[in-house]
Amino acid sequence: MSAETETIDALLERYLALLDTYTQLRASLNALQSAMYQHLARANFSADRGIRYYGQDYYDERMQASRRISIGGGSEATTSPVLFTVKAPEPVTEARTTNDGRGKDAEGKEATLEKERDPKEETERDPKEETEKDSSSSSSPSQPATTKTTDEKKKPKSTDPLRWFGILTPLPLRQAQSSAISAVEDIIPRLASVSAEMASVELEVRRARKRRAKAEKEKEKKKVAELEKQIGGLEVNKNEEKQVIGLTS
Amino acid sequence: MATQADFKDRQFLAVIGDEDSITGLLLAGIGHVTQPPDNQKNFLVVDNKTETAAIEAAFERFTTERKDIGIVLINQHIADRIRHRIDTYTQAFPTVLEIPSKDHPYDPEKDSVLRRVRRLFGE
Repeated sequence: MSAETETIDALLERYLALLDTYTQLRASLNALQSAMYQHLARANFSADRGIRYYGQDYYDERMQASRRISIGGGSEATTSPVLFTVKAPEPVTEARTTNDGRGKDAEGKEATLEKERDPKEETERDPKEETEKDSSSSSSPSQPATTKTTDEKKKPKSTDPLRWFGILTPLPLRQAQSSAISAVEDIIPRLASVSAEMASVELEVRRARKRRAKAEKEKEKKKVAELEKQIGGLEVNKNEEKQVIGLTS
Repeated sequence: MATQADFKDRQFLAVIGDEDSITGLLLAGIGHVTQPPDNQKNFLVVDNKTETAAIEAAFERFTTERKDIGIVLINQHIADRIRHRIDTYTQAFPTVLEIPSKDHPYDPEKDSVLRRVRRLFGE
């Protein structure tokens, strides 16, 4: 067996192991997803009056992602070329960073909009606005200090998308959320990483196969050349023989 | 090979799916709407009335135009509607993953990753 064939075999072995991981992750994702759909269906079945369907009508139009991807890998420590991870940042730091990332003009605009809102809406707002309100309230002494502290208490909770659907959400909806979170945090990034690694192994296998094919072609060429040489030699011998025969006769 | 610069800004997941799939995944906190005036969503709710062109446009937006998306999730039955796009998609980033939906369980025969496997083994 040639060295190239051995490398290809080793690569394929690694590939099959990855495929196995992929299939297992797929099975776990399927289980989590179907649990999520079941919980969601149960939440909708037992929905309170006033809620038509736990769906897009309640999505917050200004939602900000609380779970984000970070992509690493490519180092020698891991075999994977790319490593996806999905994490929820610390609630407090998140509120701070989103606030910082915003232009001052937008902040001023928000602050004026803030005043026009009724108190009922306040509970559903995201923390970014609340922190903005904090800054605006601290600048205007007419606002009582107590609202500031209550707003601060709400901060970590209000990023939760569950709040779009009200304050007291049914248990099945929370169960649906926890299934979705484990799918998003655990299974999906691993699936993406495995898929990326599989793609890179595929590339290596194809390259190795090409190299092997090239090497075999060259071998064949050499063989043909050698054979041709031998045949050429034989013909020369024949000619010589003929000449010898002609001379003797 | 992808360089560091290719993926350091890719921090969001994007979803193309039916309403329940999107609701579930948004509950997990992946939904994101960019600051005005763009107001770009990272998800598309697809129902029976959604045109295939709209799905294709969203796929194009998430995979090519936007540089802040790392993983695109798409319901398998919706991926079927733009199968040619999914199968010819070869970029390293974002990674496209097909996920099952409520009415359509995951079919390994259609999965683009497993189709790649079959191609590698020459089927």
